[in-house]
Amino acid sequence: MNIELSDITRRFGRNVAVDGVTLDVGTGVLGLLGPNGAGKTSLLRMLATILPPSSGHLTLLGRDPRKPADRREIRRRLGYLPQNLGYYPSFTVVEFVEYFALLKEMPPHLVPKAVAAAIEKVDLGPKARAKLRTLSGGMLRRVGIAQAIVNEPELLLFDEPTAGLDPEQRVAFRALIRDLGQTATVIVSTHLVEDVGAACSEVALMSNGKVVFRGTPEELTARGEAGQGVGDAPLERGYSAILAAARSAS
Amino acid sequence: MTTPDDVDLDRVWTNVAAEVWRRHPGRLERTAAKLLRSPGLARALLTTPSLLLPWLIASTLVLAVGALAQVGANQPLVGLLAPAVAAVGIAYAYGPGIDPAWELACSCAVSDRLVLLTRSVAVFAVNAMLGLAATAVTLGTRAETHTAQLTFGWLLPMTAVCALTLAIAVAFRSAVVGAGAGVAAWLIVVFARGTFSAAPGTPDTGAHLAAAITDPNLYLPYLAVAACCAAVVYYATRPQRGTQ
Repeated sequence: MNIELSDITRRFGRNVAVDGVTLDVGTGVLGLLGPNGAGKTSLLRMLATILPPSSGHLTLLGRDPRKPADRREIRRRLGYLPQNLGYYPSFTVVEFVEYFALLKEMPPHLVPKAVAAAIEKVDLGPKARAKLRTLSGGMLRRVGIAQAIVNEPELLLFDEPTAGLDPEQRVAFRALIRDLGQTATVIVSTHLVEDVGAACSEVALMSNGKVVFRGTPEELTARGEAGQGVGDAPLERGYSAILAAARSAS
Repeated sequence: MTTPDDVDLDRVWTNVAAEVWRRHPGRLERTAAKLLRSPGLARALLTTPSLLLPWLIASTLVLAVGALAQVGANQPLVGLLAPAVAAVGIAYAYGPGIDPAWELACSCAVSDRLVLLTRSVAVFAVNAMLGLAATAVTLGTRAETHTAQLTFGWLLPMTAVCALTLAIAVAFRSAVVGAGAGVAAWLIVVFARGTFSAAPGTPDTGAHLAAAITDPNLYLPYLAVAACCAAVVYYATRPQRGTQ
């Protein structure tokens, strides 16, 4: 397993953002669904080793991120796209992706080809030498995806990756993460249920800091058909049915 | 024999693109990479706005003007200006809210605190060198006997002012607030200490202003301020709460 979470909790003062989550994730694409404030971003930031858990045990890629040497090794093999991508406006696409390749401690002689490959994968070749300040929101999102995949990570974390992408690019991104999921663990936090249905082999649904459902998209759909979910699509009905059940239980 | 069907055009194109887009690091970056033993740290060091050319030119101009004014008026301006100039540089060095890519950098193998420290030390060193160069201009003036004292005397206050500026910049997530607070704090120290040390009825030669950088009684408070501010930076750069 590339990710092993055991009773992970993260508190911010009195607020419990992540509440006793236990999760094992291997190779493949896991969609992380949930309403605003469910704890998805806090969970992703703990997996990205940015945020330490308040309690519980976390193992990433077989290593303990509390130990500095292990944390450094995890980060070398990690790709992360935050919800709000900060960038340097004066950098070109190539410079930005290369910068993070170097910060991930890729061997310098491998960097140029890795940067070119990552930029081509997100279809930004024609804009490779454009300044970031000149790019649209969707293009910047693709730059963020490129920096996340540049080191061919074994653990990939995407927070709202398709926000701002046009339909054609979303389809291309889903194909990309399906491809990446063949060899890596990919976690995609999203509000877009259709992304999960099209690209993820598994789904975890969070509510109030807890994982209230774990299964395949087909199992999520089945919950909608059996329960009292509302929504236009079968997956949406499954999503709302599980959330409704979780809220009534708490 | 290789036929066109055997050629992986995507691979060929990626290789071509890698060569065409390849960025050639400058001499400074190559040297920094060797010294720091990390190309990533060297690149991070040189992306700081503090080390960009406009900032460097502005710092040089400020200290050069200070040096010339010192020659003419025998005022200890270089020593007094250096900490304020460094404070501004440090404020723009690095930090959450200042560096837009802070969160991404935190997830990378090169330690974010190491990047912060390296950038701060670089700004500090550049300012110290500029200050030394500016002081050399003042040799031969009436202040010459104090030159060495002034040259090395500013290092401690500069450390304190820079640490204060960085702490405020990081805590308030604003380089402008940090720079303003650092410069203001330094001016308060200079004038307060100058007023305290000026003897009533003596002509104003400006020498009493130099008390902020020459008074040994201030060395310990400067170190204490620097230590406290370092603790604040450490606390302020701890992992922050997610947005969801």
